Amino acid sequence: MERQPRLITVEDEEWPVLVLISFDIDGTLEIGDPPGVLTMDMVRLVREKGFLIGSCSDRPLSGQRAIWAAHEIEVDFVVSKHMLPDVKAQFEADVYVHIGDREDLDRRYALAAGFEFLWPHEAVAHPHFHPEI
Amino acid sequence: MYRNAEGLGIWEHRGKVAAVGVGHAPTTRRWDGRPETCVGAISIQALRQAIDDAGVAPEQIDGLVVVPDTTTGAFWEEGKPLPMDVIQSFQQTEDPLDGVAKISTEWLLANMPELTNVQFTMYGPTCMSNALNVTAQAVGDGLTHTCLVVKSWHNFEGRYYQGGANAGEALPGTAAMSQLWGGPASYGTALQFAEYCRKYGKSHEMMAPFMENSRRNGLMFPEGYWAQHRPEELGPEDYLAARWIAKPANLFDNDIPIMMSGAYLFSTAERAADMAQKPVYILNHASSNTRSRSLLPTLDEVEADTARTARKIYEGAGITADDLSFENMYDGFSLFHQFHLEGLGYRGIQFGEALDFYQTDISIEGPNPVSPSGGNIGSGRSRVWMHTDCIQQLQGRASSRQVTGVKPEVAVSGGPMPLGGNFTVWSASPD
Repeated sequence: MERQPRLITVEDEEWPVLVLISFDIDGTLEIGDPPGVLTMDMVRLVREKGFLIGSCSDRPLSGQRAIWAAHEIEVDFVVSKHMLPDVKAQFEADVYVHIGDREDLDRRYALAAGFEFLWPHEAVAHPHFHPEI
Repeated sequence: MYRNAEGLGIWEHRGKVAAVGVGHAPTTRRWDGRPETCVGAISIQALRQAIDDAGVAPEQIDGLVVVPDTTTGAFWEEGKPLPMDVIQSFQQTEDPLDGVAKISTEWLLANMPELTNVQFTMYGPTCMSNALNVTAQAVGDGLTHTCLVVKSWHNFEGRYYQGGANAGEALPGTAAMSQLWGGPASYGTALQFAEYCRKYGKSHEMMAPFMENSRRNGLMFPEGYWAQHRPEELGPEDYLAARWIAKPANLFDNDIPIMMSGAYLFSTAERAADMAQKPVYILNHASSNTRSRSLLPTLDEVEADTARTARKIYEGAGITADDLSFENMYDGFSLFHQFHLEGLGYRGIQFGEALDFYQTDISIEGPNPVSPSGGNIGSGRSRVWMHTDCIQQLQGRASSRQVTGVKPEVAVSGGPMPLGGNFTVWSASPD
């Protein structure tokens, strides 16, 4: 399914913006080990907003796919930790965001790949994850 | 206690010592801070299970062999407040971290009041493989007739191998040379594997079938971490997509640190005959205490030593490679498993041939099972699974993991490292 850019308002004008969000799993999502603060409903929300979404984790790719399938969430990509540059090369978006709980394996990789980075608690408060915004 | 040398002949207690009972505590990824899940508590749990499994009364037990170390990379931070609620939940020794970050025979005996007749205690450093050698020899020598042996692992919050000496400002002794640059623990093995691939024209990709097979077997090991918590397969795509830790060692070539405890009950062959489980007889134990010439063993040194170890294993047991029903050596790190395999000459393979062997049928259903336990890859960091598996396979109670392509009669397990380690030869019959 091709994602449609959502509209954001900038200086009273509406601009189409396509957002891609990469989710770490362990320590980030509620189903992680350890559990994180981002719920699967929050993931569903950004999916419904038309964002490109997927996971970037040290878990096996097949394990990542199994998690999404178990929660009936269709994702655009599953990759290993070091593969954010591949995601950026594969998907054209206006904003690339990675959410994770580790300085060395999430934030550093994300910034090096040209992604914006949010800690899980920052993501929960971010407008992306609020239904009315 | 150890049989380090070649030319010792048949082990004097061959077939006169037997493993009977097996006990495992539930695994977890990390300690949750509760008394009932600390490393001491899970050790007691595993020991009691081994006693029950063997069907002996606790007062019959007169020996206890313990691996005192319960980690290689998760240390109680200096200055961190002690968990007094946990410590005070047990009978204490002079060391407040006994039962929390280490385990002693004194702590276990103080907290297992049912063990009223233990006369013999001894430590087997570092690994269950070592402790098994100690236990087998002690029972054979008559120092104990019914002996428990236990190995446990703790894992705390935070990153493995980032604490302890690695977090300090200075490194003592040899570590000042070998660990100065903070390389990951697997980097030595990675260097050996890289040289192996160069010498024999092999590649890291050729490890994929072994990794897939090991995780498959581990998922059939109900005592293991992956089977209990995250039943994830590890197919070639999964394995080859993982990030490098120390290239050519990737994430899955490194075992996952966990909390676990495994225990066995050993006895004399005569006493074992009347116990609840089928005895598994010890044909020999052998050790390698070889030291490398420099900071890291070279491939040449590794190959020479695994071959020497195999000669010791076979000589003392009075067997040849042809007698092995399956292969079950250590695998944590996965990239040195082939060194053990080739040293044994399992199924006639020579140095440089193991990765080709991995491309054939190495499953538990086939004629050449490799690592039916699944090892650390299949069940998490313990260095115990291959021993439990050998016992259970030869007792015919390895559940869905039971080998079916061969008759389980003789096996060898041990490790950890190809250069240096301890090995036990198991048999379904004493002869």
